[in-house]
Amino acid sequence: MSALTKRPLIALAILFIIALAVVVLRLLIDRPPGGELTLAWPEESYAKYRFTSAFVGVMIGASLAISGVLLQALLRNPLASPFILGLSSGAGLGVMIGMYLGYVFGIQFANDATGTAPAMVGAVFILLIVYLLGRRRGVLDPLSLVLVGVILSAMCGAGMMVLQYLVPDGLRGDLLIWMMGQIPQVLNNSQLIIVTTVCIAGLIVATIMGKAMDAATFSDDEARSIGLNLGPTRLAMFLLAGALAAVTVAIAGPIGFVGLIAPHAARLVVGPRHRILVIAAAAVGAILVVAADATSQAIDFGHGRLPVGVFTALIGGPAFIWLLRSGKGQV
Amino acid sequence: MTIKIENLSHSFGKIAALKDISTSIKPKSITVLIGPNAAGKSTLLRCIIGAIRPNSGKVLIDKMPAHKLSARVLAKCAAYVPQRPIVSAAFSVREVVELGRYVLPRNISKVDKALDQLDLTKLEDRAFQNLSVGQQQRVALARAFAQISVNGHLILDEPMSAMDLNYVYKCVDLLRAKAESGATVILALHDLSLAATIADNVLLLDNGKLILSGDVNEVMQPGHLTKVFGIELERVARAGGKDALLVK
Repeated sequence: MSALTKRPLIALAILFIIALAVVVLRLLIDRPPGGELTLAWPEESYAKYRFTSAFVGVMIGASLAISGVLLQALLRNPLASPFILGLSSGAGLGVMIGMYLGYVFGIQFANDATGTAPAMVGAVFILLIVYLLGRRRGVLDPLSLVLVGVILSAMCGAGMMVLQYLVPDGLRGDLLIWMMGQIPQVLNNSQLIIVTTVCIAGLIVATIMGKAMDAATFSDDEARSIGLNLGPTRLAMFLLAGALAAVTVAIAGPIGFVGLIAPHAARLVVGPRHRILVIAAAAVGAILVVAADATSQAIDFGHGRLPVGVFTALIGGPAFIWLLRSGKGQV
Repeated sequence: MTIKIENLSHSFGKIAALKDISTSIKPKSITVLIGPNAAGKSTLLRCIIGAIRPNSGKVLIDKMPAHKLSARVLAKCAAYVPQRPIVSAAFSVREVVELGRYVLPRNISKVDKALDQLDLTKLEDRAFQNLSVGQQQRVALARAFAQISVNGHLILDEPMSAMDLNYVYKCVDLLRAKAESGATVILALHDLSLAATIADNVLLLDNGKLILSGDVNEVMQPGHLTKVFGIELERVARAGGKDALLVK
């Protein structure tokens, strides 16, 4: 094995070690409301919550990152992230509608164990519309996808604003916190199975599709001329990215920047080949989300824990600006 | 391997890009498409590689309609190079050339040879996106060379438009060698002198119509070209080579 092929594998191994360290940190970190920050193995009564939180953080971070890699390749756009297609806004509108129905009819959609359902329905509904409107001559078109996603985001945003006027103040606050993303400490079995299955299946399928994603970075005519069946490849990338994003947003809300930054950070260490990039980006995504969640547990301003999305945005924003200015942000 | 075009017509909306074109491409030779801007050269090449499903008529590659061939099958018999190659990932020159073997068995020696032929060995670790357009065109040609078999088809759309003159003539020699060893080369060119130098056969297009086709010496007559391009040309004999075309 040459030094050139060894380097990405060593980088990948280091990423996994860092991910493991961050998960251990998340398990150890503890700060009860108003109390002191301590690092200790959790008591049996707390352990389940911390394990759930760390595990879900890994799944959510990895899913967002894989979705980001898929969309950046599909849209040939380094600015693409899982929510560029309007999924987060669709999920947000779904949650808002769930809250409104709960308020008007007393139906509990958003805050019980099945609270992910409205978000999931909203995200999948938007995914379907983007798919139907984002095609040209029967094939998904990168530019059309982005434009349709942006327009649907704006429309869903307007719908959410209308609903905000119709619900009481307390529910508005709930939505605001949901919009920043939270890593749940409690999930029921079906939620755990869904998030795990989608993440692992997404990782495997995206890794298998790595070579096709490499070819998809060529112009349409060139990609086809080297043998890439463009239509089915794009459809698979779209559905996979959409499923990963929809499940994460349903479980944890729209956690920003992870799907945008993790692929770029992974590219810096393992290069642009998608087969290894998918795995490295999944590791980086897991690191970012679990580290942000651990930070969220450690910091207490006396008004409860800050949403994890606050920290991913605070880390991701400057990192993105650095990538932009340094010219290292390429697909 | 043969390419035959039968009553091919195609429109983009209300604009007719190709109008009832019928011709055969001579195998193991170099066929050059010439014509003014928007004559239909690129559209015809895209029909040949099956990227466009024509409104009527068809392109037959080995008796099979090109637009019905799967990308995988087509890639095994034809390679395509656009005027402006695009790679939206930060791949190195070598990685781009290796992608020419996407559906074909890995062949390091063929990739190495293609890189060497286009003087790209020293640039092989450079990012494709950081190269000049002329260098990128050389990489795209190398990728096509790594892809096609000895008797395959090379479909090239202005492949040398941004290259330095020394590389243009190096590519002319390479394409000539490919044709002599069994490949069928079809390329669109806007440089009439270059077309006269490289072509065995010429298709003269104007406004979507095939005006004339045949041997280079028959088609590249100043009288025919003046009618299409609206400029006075003259042929000047060159020692030991084909005639050159000069503007009067």
